[in-house]
Amino acid sequence: MSLGWKEAEAPVRAADRGDPVSQRFSDQLIAVLPRLRRFARGLTGSATEADDLVQAACERALAREHQFQEGTRFDSWMFRIVQTVWIDQLRAREVRKEDSDVPEERLGSDAPVRTIEARLALAEVRRAVQLLPPDQRTTLMLVTVEGLSYKEAADVVGVPVGTIMSRLARARIALQQHLEAGGASRRSVKNAEAQ
Amino acid sequence: MQKHSDETLVAYLDGELDGPERQHVEAWLAADLGARDRLTGLAQSADLLRSAYGDIVNEPVPERLIAAARGETAGAAQPHEAEILVLPRPQRSTITMPGGRWGIGIAAAAALFGLVVGGTGSYFASGLLSSGNPAAEQRFAAAAANNTWLDNAAGYYKLVVSAGDALTIDVAADADSREALQKASLPQTRWPDLKPWGLNFRGARLVVVEGRPAAQLVYTTENKAIGPLTLVISASKQADIQPTFDHRQDVNLLYWRHQGRAYALVGQTDIGYLWGIANDVAWQLDAI
Repeated sequence: MSLGWKEAEAPVRAADRGDPVSQRFSDQLIAVLPRLRRFARGLTGSATEADDLVQAACERALAREHQFQEGTRFDSWMFRIVQTVWIDQLRAREVRKEDSDVPEERLGSDAPVRTIEARLALAEVRRAVQLLPPDQRTTLMLVTVEGLSYKEAADVVGVPVGTIMSRLARARIALQQHLEAGGASRRSVKNAEAQ
Repeated sequence: MQKHSDETLVAYLDGELDGPERQHVEAWLAADLGARDRLTGLAQSADLLRSAYGDIVNEPVPERLIAAARGETAGAAQPHEAEILVLPRPQRSTITMPGGRWGIGIAAAAALFGLVVGGTGSYFASGLLSSGNPAAEQRFAAAAANNTWLDNAAGYYKLVVSAGDALTIDVAADADSREALQKASLPQTRWPDLKPWGLNFRGARLVVVEGRPAAQLVYTTENKAIGPLTLVISASKQADIQPTFDHRQDVNLLYWRHQGRAYALVGQTDIGYLWGIANDVAWQLDAI
């Protein structure tokens, strides 16, 4: 009886969509799409660019389906492809960073103040992430948001674990400093408005 | 030295230190108020970060990405977003597959950060960075993995429901289970017999959960009120836990871990019924 595990090790053309292994591959890919979108959003800072990036990564993954080894983590493999495609894009063109995908002007003026503050602060966090260098941003998203271990993140990025450790520490410290600076400036604005 | 200290603190929060290193950090934290403050700040900013990106996994996935994942990018993409996916199953020798529809519920990490998003508001009541929980931060990785595992189990159940008679079965009910389950790293598992519950074993599907093979046992019944029921079994390195109820993607789950195995009983029937079946499964498999 064909069980579908070993068969995946043999090259399978992505065009063979009726093949059970390819179908399983697509199922896995669809299942991980929400996380890929989130990872890409963290890298690009833009919803549109993120979805374009994920789409390009899907196409590359299907073209290299035969390279995926069953039994290894599919999500890590896809994170690596997303990151690689993104780096390629950064190198190929000058990235025009859009502002946060939650623009402040979209926030309704009649919403409760606390809700507005919360959404502003989360948008501020996303903006702070975009201020980080690309390698730190990638590491931060993989470990702190996506929950990968240092070893798994190192495999995705293709660097030693020690490099992940140092990049992550720099990113976390920088993020914290950005947030504290942002919080202080926002409090200053509020104090000025109150006076 | 400051850089090294920050690296160590972050690694401590992420649960990446071994025993002696962890003890060293804990001794350092006990003696250094400044280090404790930095640790708290790092934990809070990490929680904020996860909250900032938490909702993205709950957004509907654009149809063009679904099409791209299926190799149908050209001409298939539509400008609108879709919550319902069209996923025709592959043709197999004994199975005919009409174009089935099933929800995006299979999305593996749909609820991955639900645990932390709900607490976001507390950060803003007394400033952006006001409180933290390093212990929770350390448990994050395990919780995230557990959430993903359960989302996968729920997603695979919805696939079974939507496929109906056209479901792809990898191992028939009358097949030798040993060969199949060895492929799923479950060499000693046998099929639980749930006929006393009115459930007929239809067969097993070999699925992938968190990058590891797992077995999804499929049980069906004529009783629409009970509906199909699945039992997902996979190898696990995590500690044993007692049966625990969860509800996600509109289905009920009863999950537990026992002696290197993780189990998830999934169905749309009520929790009392699931508890009864779980006890029976445990008795038959010595799984609790």
